[in-house]
Amino acid sequence: MATISDIFVVTTIVFSCFEITAYGALFSSLHQTLILNSSTSQGQVLQAGEEQVTITWSLNKNYPTGTDSNYKIVKVKLCYAPMSQLDRGWRKSNDNLNKDKTCQFNVVTKPYKPSNNNFTWTIEKDVPSASYFIRAYVYDYVGEVVAFGQTTDSHKKTNLFQITAITGRHVAINVCAACFSAFSVISLIGFYLVEKRKGKSLRR
Amino acid sequence: MGDVEGSPGSSMHGVTGREPVLAFSVASPVVPTDTSANFKVPVDSEHKAKVFKFYSFSKPHGLTFQLSWISFFTCFVSTFAAAPLVPIIRDNLNLTKMDVGNAGVASVSGSIVSRLAMGAICDMLGPRYGCAFLIMLSAPAVFCMSFVSSAGGYVAVRFMIGFSLATFVSCQYWMSTMFNSQIIGLVNGTAAGWGNMGGGATQLLMPLLYDIIRRVGATPFTAWRIAFFIPGWLHVIMGILVLTLGQDLPDGNLASLQKKGDVTKDKFSKILWYAATNYRTWIFVLLYGYSMGVELTTDNVIAEYFFDRFDLKLHTAGIIAATFGMANLLARPFGGWTSDFAAKHFGMRGRLWNLWILQTVGGVFCLLLGRANTLPVAIAWMIIFSIGAQAACGATFGIIPFISRRSLGIISGMTGAGGNFGSGLTQLLFFTSTKYSTGTGLTYMGIMIIACTLPVSLVHFPQWGSMFLPPSKDPIKGTEEHYFTSEYTEAEKQKGMHQNSIKFAENCRSERGKRVASAPTPPHVMPNRV
Repeated sequence: MATISDIFVVTTIVFSCFEITAYGALFSSLHQTLILNSSTSQGQVLQAGEEQVTITWSLNKNYPTGTDSNYKIVKVKLCYAPMSQLDRGWRKSNDNLNKDKTCQFNVVTKPYKPSNNNFTWTIEKDVPSASYFIRAYVYDYVGEVVAFGQTTDSHKKTNLFQITAITGRHVAINVCAACFSAFSVISLIGFYLVEKRKGKSLRR
Repeated sequence: MGDVEGSPGSSMHGVTGREPVLAFSVASPVVPTDTSANFKVPVDSEHKAKVFKFYSFSKPHGLTFQLSWISFFTCFVSTFAAAPLVPIIRDNLNLTKMDVGNAGVASVSGSIVSRLAMGAICDMLGPRYGCAFLIMLSAPAVFCMSFVSSAGGYVAVRFMIGFSLATFVSCQYWMSTMFNSQIIGLVNGTAAGWGNMGGGATQLLMPLLYDIIRRVGATPFTAWRIAFFIPGWLHVIMGILVLTLGQDLPDGNLASLQKKGDVTKDKFSKILWYAATNYRTWIFVLLYGYSMGVELTTDNVIAEYFFDRFDLKLHTAGIIAATFGMANLLARPFGGWTSDFAAKHFGMRGRLWNLWILQTVGGVFCLLLGRANTLPVAIAWMIIFSIGAQAACGATFGIIPFISRRSLGIISGMTGAGGNFGSGLTQLLFFTSTKYSTGTGLTYMGIMIIACTLPVSLVHFPQWGSMFLPPSKDPIKGTEEHYFTSEYTEAEKQKGMHQNSIKFAENCRSERGKRVASAPTPPHVMPNRV
């Protein structure tokens, strides 16, 4: 009957949607078709909030023509190097890109062009102190990841750079904290002494 | 009554099984009203209130209740204030999982010692100054959080803020000077439960403050530091309110309180001996470590768990985490109520089964929470887990008054310390090393709760039985009198020191459940001394 087959069709579509969202693309299935370069050198230390990184990318010409026929958008991200992921489960790498936490900071999102891409990024103030590399993911028209490029090798050992975070402390905050703490202690002691003196004078 | 009058759990309420379960007031024939007193509520001969209205602000009784529970609530807010902000703090201070775990252990360890010292401080200075001193001297520690710059500093500051949890003792002590001992159980239980809610409220408050400060223009690594000023100000404000509006006694006179405190009829070493040599004390220390301890641990880890596992925004994770702690509003009194209900039908055996069931249910759902893969299921398991664990806390204090009459105060104190110790141990085992993810840690914690609740089956009262064994039929050893007076030597009995225990034994005959009518009368019971 029409209604049963309708239900069957809807159910299949719904379940296939679940499949897509549940699994996500696997990183190991992506091809590294972009060549990514950054202005940083191995071991360079940069200050967050002040210094800049310039990134350039282009398609690797060694791949056959037509590889980039479905490339639409490029998202460049700042990613943690393995030494900064140690003992920190919230930065863990996972082959399933839906669960991967390696790249937590967005640098820039741009439409795809095979060459002549560059961007100068001022390091944001909420970037923590760690070792990093840069990776770019390429998305197709449907929003799925299809390729990537990164500034380091496949073991993530070469060409890593450090960022030093801002402390978040300010002189004004320190002064206020000291003032309120002093107020708390002094008013307590003051109250105690005043009451003691009142008690003594009452007893006289 | 003896020197332990008014200490936590010392209420005589409910022991006869004939009073209403939820006692908000004491009827006049039981405790005579002092009609010469000029208070808004009926009071007894010491001018302690005979009626408990949780919405009352009347001076001094109602006002004391409000000041007391809100100060305790404030200390819970500041002790667990860092927990929902850990995702930001761990990036700012470059913390590893071990640092985060150690800070959690530190936050609950400080109060193990400070709670023990607080009793003595209240004896010396009175509960009003005890509370005010603690809350105002820990305010600088809260403000110090804003200039922490390393893992070591973070752990140290959380340790110092954790001292403030000793306001539990000043809160309970202060209420016992203001409320009659017949209703003190409910009053103290309500204050403790509402104070514990602070651990939930902070999960809501801190991410909200962080968001607001961010929107005003601060960067993330500065915004969380500024957010800590609010708990700090709460400490100072509550301290000032306690000092200006509070008073130690209904009549406002501190000197007579100090006189009373000096008269300790019993030796501390003896009380400690009888507490330590009663195996039931240690079983309950372990048990409370896996009801209250688990609650404190979860307050520390749950927001970060939801943030990381389900990729939520910080304040969404905070709202979900808050429901865990806020369940204390009703869950803890519920546990006490089910304990009383079970006792009416099955006596002490009912109370023990009730505790085992509640705490094991909590453990099972903690295990499931660690394994939940979708958000709605995780939230559902978390809510059931919270009700189980918090009701178990309430049920534990429904049994503790019956373990010993002589050493009741110390056993209550040791049990409370056991809660904190259990929390520190659990965080050290499962939430500090990188071997386990937080989800796995929760699952193992659930297994440990189930395992550590089994010893309740070993608690046996000769006069009332245990979970699996019936009471002893021995006409002497199977009586309440024998059990409670066995804590006194013959020499002490000659001095008549055991009279209160005899009275208590007579009153708790209802813990036999429905068999009260058929209970054999003990051969040489002393006549009732009214």
